[in-house]
Amino acid sequence: MWLVPFMVVMKGTSEYPLLFPLLFQWLRDVVKLQYFLNGLPIGSIYALVALSYSLIYAASGVLNWSQGDIVMLGAFIGFTIINVIKLGFTTGLLISMIVLALVGLLIQIAILQPLRNRQAPPINVVIATLGVAILIRNVALVIWGADAQNSPSPVSTKPIYLGSLSITPQDILILMAGIALMVILQFLLKRSKEGKALRAVAQDRYAAILMGIDTNRSDGVAFAASASLGAAAGMLVAPIFFVTFNMGALIGLKGFVAAVIGGLGNIPGAIAGGFFLGIIESMAGGQISSGYRDAITYALLILVLWLKPAGLFLRKTRQKV
Amino acid sequence: MKMMKTTFKWYLFLVIALVMLLTPQFITNVYYQHIINLVGIYTLITIGLNILSGYTGQVSMGHAGYYAIGTYVSSLLMLNLHMPFWLSVLIAVVAVAICGLVVGIPAMKLSGPYLVLATVGFGEIVRLVILNWTPVTKGAAGLTGIPLPRLFGLQITGEKDFFYLIFFVVLIGCYIAQRIARSKIGRTYMAIREDELAAEAMGVPVNTYKISAFVISAIYAGIAGCLFGAYSGVASPDNFTFDDSVGFLCMSVVGGNNTIIGALIGSFVLTILSELLRVFQSLRLILYGLILIMTVIYMPKGLAGFIEPVRKWMAIHMKKSTLIQD
Repeated sequence: MWLVPFMVVMKGTSEYPLLFPLLFQWLRDVVKLQYFLNGLPIGSIYALVALSYSLIYAASGVLNWSQGDIVMLGAFIGFTIINVIKLGFTTGLLISMIVLALVGLLIQIAILQPLRNRQAPPINVVIATLGVAILIRNVALVIWGADAQNSPSPVSTKPIYLGSLSITPQDILILMAGIALMVILQFLLKRSKEGKALRAVAQDRYAAILMGIDTNRSDGVAFAASASLGAAAGMLVAPIFFVTFNMGALIGLKGFVAAVIGGLGNIPGAIAGGFFLGIIESMAGGQISSGYRDAITYALLILVLWLKPAGLFLRKTRQKV
Repeated sequence: MKMMKTTFKWYLFLVIALVMLLTPQFITNVYYQHIINLVGIYTLITIGLNILSGYTGQVSMGHAGYYAIGTYVSSLLMLNLHMPFWLSVLIAVVAVAICGLVVGIPAMKLSGPYLVLATVGFGEIVRLVILNWTPVTKGAAGLTGIPLPRLFGLQITGEKDFFYLIFFVVLIGCYIAQRIARSKIGRTYMAIREDELAAEAMGVPVNTYKISAFVISAIYAGIAGCLFGAYSGVASPDNFTFDDSVGFLCMSVVGGNNTIIGALIGSFVLTILSELLRVFQSLRLILYGLILIMTVIYMPKGLAGFIEPVRKWMAIHMKKSTLIQD
């Protein structure tokens, strides 16, 4: 049953629906299914963050290192709206996404556009986005302070038991909200005018310019969309982790790992990479060692990069030179 | 070689000698001396990064990993096996070089974000292993009481002694890096940076050179780590986070990552800047971020970009053929 949303998202990429039942079978036989289930909600958050990396990378070739801190900012804005202004979770989510879309747009216009106009080398772009990350992190520190905030969950955290397995309604909410956002994004990319322009730019920037597409506009759209995805990821992750000003580094890094596993710039790949990472992490943490969980993830990642430099889920392997 | 002789820079030696003799005399405040020593240690790492990212075009965001390995290997050898400082440094350098090789081999296939990720992964793995391998590394508590080094029968204690030690190491490091940069190896690195395919077509063994850049760069960071361990006397995983790697990369880019002097300028300016901004307290890092962004937008060649016009001016006015060197 739970495969259905995947099939909708992955429509047009024929391997994925075949791949997942196989993976499922393997997981049931080889590892405990509980770890698999535990990995799904966090995987959906990773997938959202990975999507936000991939979207910008596909559209403008920029690796935005401030993505993790955008997630953090989204979490804080949502937290403030829900706990201080006392509006509902959905309203908080929407406002947070809109605010962050504006922030994303601002980053693109104020920082990345000048860099592009000056044809700055890629490493300067990397440093600029790292500068943005430092900026956002410390603005959040000044506004919200250094204390970890505990964001209450919108739904119950009491686990539901299904035979030997358990899952909390909160996890289901996170999973469902994440998947809903991915479907909406995919729909917008495929159907809306801006989405089509964005995909055209991603395919061939210069051809798109020749066809009269405003690339600055499409970059802006990519940044806004990606930042609001980040905000949503922040809102969803807030009830699981504490919200702190430096939560962005870790989640940003994890999202980036997921994006690369799926092949940067590859939208379905980013989703698959997110879930893959979430599940692998949960399994490594549960079955090998929780202290070394992240180290195992990174080691696996370097191995993946070594063996398949273009990501696990890219169909046509392009050489990354 | 003839060219080298005609462009013997007497003024450079004068400046170096003056700086070395006068700095500890004028800067008597221990805190300032400490900052200067840190600048020296960061300069070494940044030189390595410049060779890797500036010359060869391979960006690394995991240099805190090599730095950590240097620190921990040399400190643990001194603490547990009571080895002399020089021997522990030697072994640490070998260990770090092997790590550079281990990262360099998968990294030779990668570029752009993929390479960045592999290096980030390496840095994090090192930090997490240090954090979790408690029996050896003492975990999050870190190492304490790392013995002070003895070199050539001299006991090195205090900021002033360390200033001389670090200064000498940085000087030698700069010299070797400059020689590498201007030799066939440096030119090959630049050829790889400009166009890897073209370099390969010209018969350059690209992979060998790319890995060698990784190893050289790792060794620089490792030596910096050895100095840091002996100097600070304590080391914990918190000294070697992803943020530190990012900081080193910032130094490299702000200073200008395709010159060796840029490493010196970058680590000096950013370290001093972050200390100066302390007066703004909580706004400190906000300003730091803003300055960083402005620098990369408006000074794409880094601060060292300003040196080139000065050198040209000197070449014209001092009738020296400094231009020929480049």
